[in-house]
Amino acid sequence: MSDIALPRVFLVDDHALIRSGIRTELGTQVDLVGEADEVEAAIEMIIERSPDVVLLDVHMPDGGGRAVLEGVITKQPTVKFLALSVSDAAEDVIALIRAGARGYVTKNIEGPELIEAIYRIAAGDAVFSSRLAGFVLDAFASQNGEAELTPPPFDPELDQLTVREREVLRLIARGYAYKEIATELSISIKTVESHVSAVLRKLQLSNRHQLTKWATERRLL
Amino acid sequence: MCAGVAKRFGVGANRIRVLAIIAALFLGFGVAVYMAYWILVIRQGDEKSILSRTGSDKREKEILSVGTITVFSILLALQILGINKFGLATLFLTLSALGALVVWRGASPAEQVHLRKMTNTVATMGSSTGEGWRGVALRTVVSVVFILVGLSNLSRVSRVRGEASGVVIGATALVLGLVILFAPWWIGTVRGLSKERRARVRAQERADMAAHVHDSVLQTLSLIQRAADNPIEVARLVRMQERDLRSWLVDPESFGVTSDPPTTLAGSAFEIEHEVEDCYAIAVEVVIVGDCKLNAAVLALLGAGREAAINAAKWSEAPSVSIYIEVERERISMFVRDLGRGFDPAEVSSDRQGISGSIVERMARHGGHATIRSMPGAGTEVELVLPLKSTAP
Repeated sequence: MSDIALPRVFLVDDHALIRSGIRTELGTQVDLVGEADEVEAAIEMIIERSPDVVLLDVHMPDGGGRAVLEGVITKQPTVKFLALSVSDAAEDVIALIRAGARGYVTKNIEGPELIEAIYRIAAGDAVFSSRLAGFVLDAFASQNGEAELTPPPFDPELDQLTVREREVLRLIARGYAYKEIATELSISIKTVESHVSAVLRKLQLSNRHQLTKWATERRLL
Repeated sequence: MCAGVAKRFGVGANRIRVLAIIAALFLGFGVAVYMAYWILVIRQGDEKSILSRTGSDKREKEILSVGTITVFSILLALQILGINKFGLATLFLTLSALGALVVWRGASPAEQVHLRKMTNTVATMGSSTGEGWRGVALRTVVSVVFILVGLSNLSRVSRVRGEASGVVIGATALVLGLVILFAPWWIGTVRGLSKERRARVRAQERADMAAHVHDSVLQTLSLIQRAADNPIEVARLVRMQERDLRSWLVDPESFGVTSDPPTTLAGSAFEIEHEVEDCYAIAVEVVIVGDCKLNAAVLALLGAGREAAINAAKWSEAPSVSIYIEVERERISMFVRDLGRGFDPAEVSSDRQGISGSIVERMARHGGHATIRSMPGAGTEVELVLPLKSTAP
């Protein structure tokens, strides 16, 4: 294990208590290259140190995680972001994902799960929590339930989920780990990951009416 | 000024002021006298009178003579054109205006400060709008012209009957003049009012916030302190508080409002989440896709799901249970899953009320079905499906 390069992780959160908690949970399983507690400093240090993965708090003063993401991603497109938040509000989550984050987990995630998520992000995959999977299904699902309210998709390739993608998301929403999904659907974990990445891409690129409108209007508890 | 006169004659200052105002009312004569007095008399603490100061300055003399000539030529021109009849009043008013000019130009620094302060306190010239002195002067001149025109029109009309348009023009000009003159003061007042109202709203919000923090957060913290040696109770309290704060953040209006019983599936599902979390000290994660109105069948589905979640809380020993509900056009699916110790469904006797009565049969009565998948050591998942065809309109 020790000769494999650990993912280089940068932590952005304005609460010292949360930072120290996350630091403890990560332990020695990642290479923590820096921390920042405000937007400006975070952008500067991330660009300077170019970590593999940035753990990014969604809610911060001066524009929040989104400002950091937008400040970095134009200059260092290789840096990957995992959004970390106590908020489950759909609009926050979707906004950050659409801005370029590759995953979203809530702060009450268990240590091992968080580490797994970091490794997955570092490897270029996407990380969806069950709640995020639910949001995505909700945003893409309405062509069945509320067909009359939904304008026809502009780009079927981007604006609709395949049956398989939907199945994978459903299992994530039901609380299945990637390994369990692979077993359940008799596919490899790699295939599960590629389905999730495809969904992420659609989520970021689709102009689907719902995704922009829904994210600001919909308020789920 | 009046105080100075009063001192000289040994009379009360206010009495002289009243006299001065009465004099001013008589054709402006008083105003002219007042101005002359102001110019000629040496102010307490100054060595020279305003006139002598003005007289000793060449530039001031020029300004003064140019001003005088201009005013008199304008007066003459107007007289010739016959636009207005100038009586004594106009003459005196003009003289007073000239006097004011002399006073302004010739005032000592101390007096200028005094004058500025005075003009600022006069409501009509109030600098609440932050306009410069030129703005004030311009506005005053414009409004005074309007007022004069209005008054003269009106006075003419009172002599010549049947001239309705004169009344209208006069009244309009008068009102316009007054509006321009008093606008800044009025705007300032209105602005002050709205500022005050905003401040009150903010104070109200702060009070609500304080009340909320007290009612929920502080209470919970003290409860947690008391239950510090009972981790299950602490976890329950923390979850309850977290939920409360989160719903408050999402919808601040909801604070203090006793919520009505939910009318939708999502609302009821979140209620189940709260109930199970509070009563059984287990974390419940609810994910819902879509939503629909409640009816008997949906309630049955939710009842069965609740039972499944409670079973998980009681028997699975798992730290959390996930509930996933998806509403589609033709059916509602609900999954209740835990990663606890699991059991062998075949070994559960069929007369156990929990699974058979509350879950399987309840679903069957409404045309749905329940599937229970569990293995010892690998957790449990209960799948509930309710077709919607029969209930769809």
